[in-house]
Amino acid sequence: DQYRLLGENVAKLRTDLMKEQLATFRSQLEDFARKHKNDIRKNPTFRSQFHEMCAKVGVDPLASNKGFWAELLGIGDFYYELGVQIVEICLATRPHNGGLINLQELCNLLRQRRKSNREAVSEDDCLRAISKLKVLGNGYEVISVGKKKLVRSVPTELNKDHNQILELAQAQGFVTVDEVERRLSWTSGRAIDALDILLEEGLAMVDDGHRDRKRRYWFPCASSISSSMGADS
Amino acid sequence: MMQKLGDFKLPAFFNYPPYFTLQPVRDTREKQIQLWKELILDYCRTQKVFLILLEEEFPLFSNPVIERSLNNEARETFLSALVSEGRAEWLDKGHRKCLILWHRIQDWADIILGFVKDNGLEDSVMTVEEIRLGIESRGTELHGMDRTILMRALKLLEHKGKVAIFKGTSADDEGVKFSV
Repeated sequence: DQYRLLGENVAKLRTDLMKEQLATFRSQLEDFARKHKNDIRKNPTFRSQFHEMCAKVGVDPLASNKGFWAELLGIGDFYYELGVQIVEICLATRPHNGGLINLQELCNLLRQRRKSNREAVSEDDCLRAISKLKVLGNGYEVISVGKKKLVRSVPTELNKDHNQILELAQAQGFVTVDEVERRLSWTSGRAIDALDILLEEGLAMVDDGHRDRKRRYWFPCASSISSSMGADS
Repeated sequence: MMQKLGDFKLPAFFNYPPYFTLQPVRDTREKQIQLWKELILDYCRTQKVFLILLEEEFPLFSNPVIERSLNNEARETFLSALVSEGRAEWLDKGHRKCLILWHRIQDWADIILGFVKDNGLEDSVMTVEEIRLGIESRGTELHGMDRTILMRALKLLEHKGKVAIFKGTSADDEGVKFSV
């Protein structure tokens, strides 16, 4: 019983110490933020590192739109604004790509849209803005396909087969049934089933126009064709 | 990089091969049709094209850069969609000739009325050819317009009592008296 009490005291002491350290750290972080406010606003790399620092200390500058961080940095507004623009771009390009867009392309479109804005936007910024969107329950998600990241703005669930096809499509922007069968060692039925679903979901389009007469399945999320399509500001 | 046809800027989808194949999935096809309808109307409006002959080489139906061409079914589908919303008319049962109404007939009728008022032609007489090609119409949308469409607009106005159409002195030119 005595030991238990001792144990509890030690634990409490540790916790108190930690809390104190954290409090110090926090105020140092706040000082830092105050001093480097402009850098944080203007420089995406710096901003990203700042976020990492905050995360280590358990501070989330974006946690709320009110309070210290939002006021000091106005950073909440920045990400909120990005989030809104990202949603707009995803909606505008959805008729073309079915709700799946390449992160790089999304960022490019975002930058085009924000041309007049002094504040540069990085892919890291996009990812943060999207993670905020996710918290709001908007159904936005970032998925990895091969080496690329895709932003999904529709509830469509993709299984492994679909993902593998998307990955194959990264090379040329399209796949053929033969190619899928050959490269993934699938049966014709499996390939066609997966491709049919991707077609139905609006993530793929057919192309029968090549002179070799082979049907191609194109994936808008694997190309950057929509740079001038429907997402102009 | 925007491709151009003459000085007409082509939209990005024109360079994406699948848009030249009629899509099997309904939602995708509807979006495709919408894009093509807009493109066809825009092009015809800016280039003053009034008639499309399906079997001939209409510049929008092929894109040599990506080596794709719309097949007959696709061409007919897109034009039929325009016909359905009153923006085009088939001139033949075989659906090989399509009149493009980038202005509806009613719009052309209004333009004619405006032309009459702007030029003080309220009680005058002009031939159909004069309306289309005469000096007065230069610089207006009426200049160089398609004769078939012009006649239809005039007939609409005649129906409303704004003009009277009568046979002219030459075999195939009619006259128009405005009673606007």
